[in-house]
Amino acid sequence: MQDAVLTSPVAFAQKVRKPVLGQINGMQAALSFGGVNVEAQNSRILGICDVSCLDRFGLKGPKAAEWLQTSGMKLPATANSWVLQDSGSLLMRLGNTEFLLEDSLENDLARMFSNKALDGGGIHKVIRSDAAFIVSGERTAALFSEVCAIDLDNGMLGDNRLVMTVIAGVSATIIKQTLKGQPVYRIWCDGTFGPYLWKTLLGIMEEHGGGPVGFNFYYTLN
Amino acid sequence: MTHRIAKKRGEWINRDKPLTFEYEGQMVQGYEGDTISSALWANGIKVLGRSFKYHRARGILSFANHDVNALMTDGEDTNIRADVWPVADNSKLQAVNTKGGVYKDKNKFIDHLSPFLPVGFYYKTFYKPKKMFPFWENKIRKAAGLGMVNFNYPRITKPKLHAFCDVLVVGAGASGLSAALAAAAEGLKVILVDENRHAGGSLSYDYAGDQSATDTLNSLISAVEADSNIRLITDAYAGGYYSDHLVPIVGKGGITKVRAKTVIVATGVFEQPPVFRYNDLPGVMLGSAAQRLVHRYAVKPFEKGIIVTANDHGYRTALDLVSVGVEVVAVIDMRRDGAPQELSQKVKDKGIPVHKGSCIYEAVPAKDKLSIREVVVCPYDETTAEADTGLSVRLKCDGIAMSAGWAPAAALLYQAGTKMVYSYDIEQFVPEILPEGVFAAGKVNGIFNLKSRLQDGRRAAAEAINYLGKAVEVEAVVQPAIARHSHPYPIVNHPKGKNFVDFDEDIQVKDFINAAKEGFDNIELMKRFTTVGMGPSQGKHSNMNAIRILARIRQLPVEKVGSTTARPFFHPTPIGHLGGRGFHPHRYTAMHQWHVENGGEMMEAGIWMRPAYYVPVGSRLTASEAVQQESGAVREKVGMIDGSTLGKIEVFGPDAGIFLERFYTGKFADQKVGGSRIAMLLDEAGVMVDDGVAVRMAQDQFYVSTNSSNAATVYREMQRNVQLWKMQVTLVNLTGAMAAMTVAGPSSRTLVAALTDIDVSAPAMPDGAFRTGKVAGIDARVMRVSFVADLAFEIHVPYQTGLHVWKALMEKGQSLGIRPFGTDAQRLLRLEMGHHLISHDTDGLTNPFEAHSESLVAMDKPFFIGQRSLKIIAKKQLNKKLTTFVLDKGFNSELPKECNLVIDSANNITGRVTSISYSRHLDRYIGFAFVPPEQSTAGARFQIRTDSGAMITATACKAPFFHLLENRGE
Repeated sequence: MQDAVLTSPVAFAQKVRKPVLGQINGMQAALSFGGVNVEAQNSRILGICDVSCLDRFGLKGPKAAEWLQTSGMKLPATANSWVLQDSGSLLMRLGNTEFLLEDSLENDLARMFSNKALDGGGIHKVIRSDAAFIVSGERTAALFSEVCAIDLDNGMLGDNRLVMTVIAGVSATIIKQTLKGQPVYRIWCDGTFGPYLWKTLLGIMEEHGGGPVGFNFYYTLN
Repeated sequence: MTHRIAKKRGEWINRDKPLTFEYEGQMVQGYEGDTISSALWANGIKVLGRSFKYHRARGILSFANHDVNALMTDGEDTNIRADVWPVADNSKLQAVNTKGGVYKDKNKFIDHLSPFLPVGFYYKTFYKPKKMFPFWENKIRKAAGLGMVNFNYPRITKPKLHAFCDVLVVGAGASGLSAALAAAAEGLKVILVDENRHAGGSLSYDYAGDQSATDTLNSLISAVEADSNIRLITDAYAGGYYSDHLVPIVGKGGITKVRAKTVIVATGVFEQPPVFRYNDLPGVMLGSAAQRLVHRYAVKPFEKGIIVTANDHGYRTALDLVSVGVEVVAVIDMRRDGAPQELSQKVKDKGIPVHKGSCIYEAVPAKDKLSIREVVVCPYDETTAEADTGLSVRLKCDGIAMSAGWAPAAALLYQAGTKMVYSYDIEQFVPEILPEGVFAAGKVNGIFNLKSRLQDGRRAAAEAINYLGKAVEVEAVVQPAIARHSHPYPIVNHPKGKNFVDFDEDIQVKDFINAAKEGFDNIELMKRFTTVGMGPSQGKHSNMNAIRILARIRQLPVEKVGSTTARPFFHPTPIGHLGGRGFHPHRYTAMHQWHVENGGEMMEAGIWMRPAYYVPVGSRLTASEAVQQESGAVREKVGMIDGSTLGKIEVFGPDAGIFLERFYTGKFADQKVGGSRIAMLLDEAGVMVDDGVAVRMAQDQFYVSTNSSNAATVYREMQRNVQLWKMQVTLVNLTGAMAAMTVAGPSSRTLVAALTDIDVSAPAMPDGAFRTGKVAGIDARVMRVSFVADLAFEIHVPYQTGLHVWKALMEKGQSLGIRPFGTDAQRLLRLEMGHHLISHDTDGLTNPFEAHSESLVAMDKPFFIGQRSLKIIAKKQLNKKLTTFVLDKGFNSELPKECNLVIDSANNITGRVTSISYSRHLDRYIGFAFVPPEQSTAGARFQIRTDSGAMITATACKAPFFHLLENRGE
């Protein structure tokens, strides 16, 4: 296999756990960390999965909403909310004039938009290098009670709401979704904080009996 | 177990699980649920500690985690509060603050010296002769303190949790339970917290011989436990109150920060002792302590005891004690009128004599001073606080239960900003004006009757519910008219003293009188001079009596004396809890792993992890050698540094150019696309705060870099000013999204050219030029820079591709002799180039005129941040300038350090060194220094004073320093 050009921001923090690696969207990603049963248990109790390899597209500017709408996107009505596109892509409204689109594995809207020449005329592409995680499990409330000073358990993330807050000292964006029938939290942060956040969250998770989960647990490769 | 009584309804011990532990070398048996103190007391062990100052024997006082008579160590942990800490099987305990054990403490002789050790003694005695102070300080420090700190204590990261609720109820006594239930019934989320192991407050021990109140308690607790809206947290205390109803709850495992929408304070009251001679002997305890021993732990406080009281509570205690077989010799009531007839009669019906208008003049210790033998009872004059010793009688006993009144546990209320008022009806401070969203209920609110407390809890809950936007009826609280609960002056004067007010610090009545005589007659001054309330109890049992004593000394009403400040945490909290598990984020560049694997010595550079230098695997380079080799590679071949930490901000929009003109000191509106300019930022005072490079990528798009540590600050300032100036500008902070690397040195062009489709030849890409194109197949932004070398290329690529591009350059550069270089070499290289670093070579006062940066300031612009200040500064004479300097060739003396001072011939300080380093390339020591302006011109000589005081001569010279090479020594 040719070396991946892209590296997950979390890659070196994961290395010590010797994950099974593979390329997703040109990025070397941790596909699994152990047996399926172990990962299922981690996911059920308290698990973290690095999904930084999903394609993302950022757009900012006074005409950003208009451009996305013209491009056939369903827009979140207000800032700090998200909407799932029919294609499966996730569109988050980070502010009145700022958006983040994330593809699932089956579609490539974000990649398509990224390849367009867009800057100018009130819209500006935003280069994204997020560390992105899925956090799941029945003990998520215990985790968040330690790492987050706001009440994520109180309907704050309901109705497709999005929260920008501080997780373990790092500015992060968080939403609650259902993946594979399981309610999960999605967290995005600046990639340079990714290794720290991975190690910190995983350390606490392991105290609760949880652990890492590979990309394959949530996404099936074609 | 000599003092254990038969199983009691509601007791907290599990008799099916006996436990054994060792105390001071003696094996002791207890039960699961026992505290250390209750188990010891049940075994007849009554010397639980030694006092802080005089090393007097001490037993149970409050038995409520409110005093420090019984502090233990298990060899690992210390200052374990035995009154509340559960017994652990096979543990080994010793009292703290003893030398040779609690019974044979060698320091007990200090008690005999007490007449010579009044408060203030240390302040007045040991400060002279001055040379002797270190000797005395050493002695005093060794003598002071309680438990010894164990520096090998295991590091346990205790989590600091967050919790949220609509209503936080602090205190799970009758009023707290009632409030919680009422709030929960309205669908509100309630957190109910109590410092005791079980909820109930005084409902679990204050029965006056009739335990029917247990039914009330059980029914309340059952209701609370059945209510899913209520989270009951026991064995944890609310340590403080912070803005917006943030209350840290301190439990054994750590702190939970509760953010509540409203707070109901139902914290109750602390029982206050009467003050008489030897009121600290083992066996003398508060009435409520005796009740707790009996009803929670089924332990008799003593066999034959005296009740001394200045309120009705002593009668209730007497009835509780006699109900479990304690012989109550007498009730000594300090009040002339005594208790209401009904209560008094109940006591008399039990065959207990009641002596009204009497006091205990002194307790008489046994010969070994480890217990009480008898008491001297005298008629008492409440007005003068004097006992009539002519009519004294002696009563044999082995214990005293004392009740003189109550002080509100109002620390949280004070911290929340409550205005308290002194109520003469009950002789207690009570809340008068509560802050928004804070409510008080129960005894802390001055409500003592049980039925009234239940009502008051519901009333407070209703007010809290209404505060949250609902509309419920607020119940009226009906209080029966009863005698006051606290005595206005429960003090018995005694010419020989030892009538203790503060048990933590061994402070007697005479200490207050002496303090006042010396002028410390304000409560805050008196606190600091006498140290009353400054011990671990924080005045829970002493502050109220201290206030009463001071009020009497000064002939002032109590409310005029006031109280001291109650700061959080109001109860001693382990440092480990406060530290907890800390979150200290670090940022990692895309190339971090490569640095680690290739010998990078990683260090914290602000929040970033960066390689200071590289020691390749197998080499034995010192740090200095590594830095010189890395610098040499840049000067002679090619080097590469990870510059990802640079701040990177995109500025878009039609007003982008005008915005930068206003934001920075230079001109950008006319800047050509594809070029770069230095962007220097000042603050409003004209002080240099940042410098970077602004690249114009398109007519309406700039890419601006900042110093590594300033990215967030500059971005925030930009955001603020975009709003202020109402400009059509969009900002994007790409600091983390872009990796950056600088390829520098004579071979850098060859290397970059080999991997890019950009024409990087000298004519096509002059210094300062900016181009976009592919580098190693990745979309890149490339800039000609000259910070560390005349020829260098800064390459920016998306973060995820950073490692790929870095590796490609490294691989391709092998044949050119490439070396990675770290931040240490970077500092040397920029020094050789004569570039100062803002915040390193400049300080919080440096303006551009002082740092040779005038050329970066376009004063002819209509506006830029700091311009107004610079106009003023420009009219004044400078008194310092930053200059580059060199030490004499062949210098081999003591090397000046950064911050060593520049000294003039009159020995005045005229400047300081800001940077200094040895350059192997130049074979000279070079640096930056602030000097007087006249010494900043090339060739001027000035003196630097080293740490040892040696004077080193330096010569100001022009930068960059490479002319030193050309001239071979000047």
